[in-house]
Amino acid sequence: MVSTRFLLKRALLLVPVLFGVATLVFAILHLAPGDPARVIVGQRASQAQVEEVRRQLGLDQPLWRQYLQFLWDAARFDFGQSYSIKKGGTVRSVLIDRLPVTIELALYGQVAGIFIGIPLGIVSAVRQDSLTDHLTRIGALTGISVPIFWSGPLLILLFATYLDVFPTSGRIDSTLFLPDHWTLFGTELPLTGMVTVDTLLLGNVEAFLSAVHHLFLPALVIGIYSTALISRMMRSSMLEVVRQDYIRTARAKGQGAKITLMKHGFRNALIPVVTVIGIQFGTLLGGAVLTETVFGINGMGLTIVTAIGDSDYPVVQGTVLTFALLFTLVNLLVDVTYSYLDPRIQQ
Amino acid sequence: MSDAAVAGLRAGIRARVRLVGSAAAVGAALGVVAAGALAASSGDVEAGTRTAFALGALVLGFGVLGWSGSAMVGDSVETAQRYMATRTDWTERDSRRAMARLSGAGAGAMLAVVAVRTVLLG
Repeated sequence: MVSTRFLLKRALLLVPVLFGVATLVFAILHLAPGDPARVIVGQRASQAQVEEVRRQLGLDQPLWRQYLQFLWDAARFDFGQSYSIKKGGTVRSVLIDRLPVTIELALYGQVAGIFIGIPLGIVSAVRQDSLTDHLTRIGALTGISVPIFWSGPLLILLFATYLDVFPTSGRIDSTLFLPDHWTLFGTELPLTGMVTVDTLLLGNVEAFLSAVHHLFLPALVIGIYSTALISRMMRSSMLEVVRQDYIRTARAKGQGAKITLMKHGFRNALIPVVTVIGIQFGTLLGGAVLTETVFGINGMGLTIVTAIGDSDYPVVQGTVLTFALLFTLVNLLVDVTYSYLDPRIQQ
Repeated sequence: MSDAAVAGLRAGIRARVRLVGSAAAVGAALGVVAAGALAASSGDVEAGTRTAFALGALVLGFGVLGWSGSAMVGDSVETAQRYMATRTDWTERDSRRAMARLSGAGAGAMLAVVAVRTVLLG
């Protein structure tokens, strides 16, 4: 069991993380060139109009006052209204619309990384220095080294342009339309925003297949790095574990090689891999920014890029803080898993 | 709690306060210099203090994030480095101390800039 004290300690660390991110984002936005008031009223507006908008938005206040106000609002997860992404709409509504899209993409990337990377790492370790091991290592090294902004367009070029087997952008076929709710025992419930989940909830197989078809390339692009890193970590970890005395003892007592490996080796080898999975979830979220831009998927990544270009401060702040919150929560989950796998961690 | 434990706790707190406090004093001095230099170069006290405050916030944000990141995933990073055989001398403790100094400097600079602005512009 995971102790409450351990959990509480880890959860408390979320506060400085979010405070640090909030402060950093605030500082960067106010140091960056560009005036949101000018973006809102347009280039032809008079200086008086710009000043009026600045006053309305509170941008004429001393910076320390704006900072304290921002921290107070951020603590309540209220980032106000969007300047340009969704004019008049709240940042919270923008986040509710776009967050599921990014989570879906990152989850598929992560799942691909776990389900391909871990077996590859085990095989590579078990067959150390064989052809399989060499190929896996080369593949892992390539996967870690290749940036998404290069692999994305290259895969689009290969699979969408030349082979024409996958679409270049979008989340579902443009001829398919999904309702905004689904029904369970006569009760109308809102959809999740994750298109693969929603199509299943609606029981629309054609739409589900279309969603998977559209999601395949982006998930592959985002999952390459994840797969490569996990397989490399799994290999290193497994190699260290299989040399331990307890593995030798189990084998000496007559236990089969596969059972020894999976029963005694796998769980222990998994500990460092689990931590890496948590840490690199942040990389997946960062990857989502690039992947969504390359594939034109309207998630948090594309939103933040557009918001930065438009000096939409509230949306940038809300998006970055949401990313930070997600990242820290995933790491909290990893800590729990980690301490379950090795209870000594809680000490 | 025993006397020895209380004394140990006090010593620990004193050391931490000294670490952050000395950095804050340095940050405050740098903040005043930065605000003055920026105000002089732009010819606008408001713009100068705004930029100096944002720079202080940048350092504070970086420091706090680095500190909490080190505390949160420092062990994992050390483990990952060991497994990937990168052989660096990075440790969680050193990182936390460095980041605490940065946070102190950033906070000191921000407070000093607010004081300068209040004195000059009211």
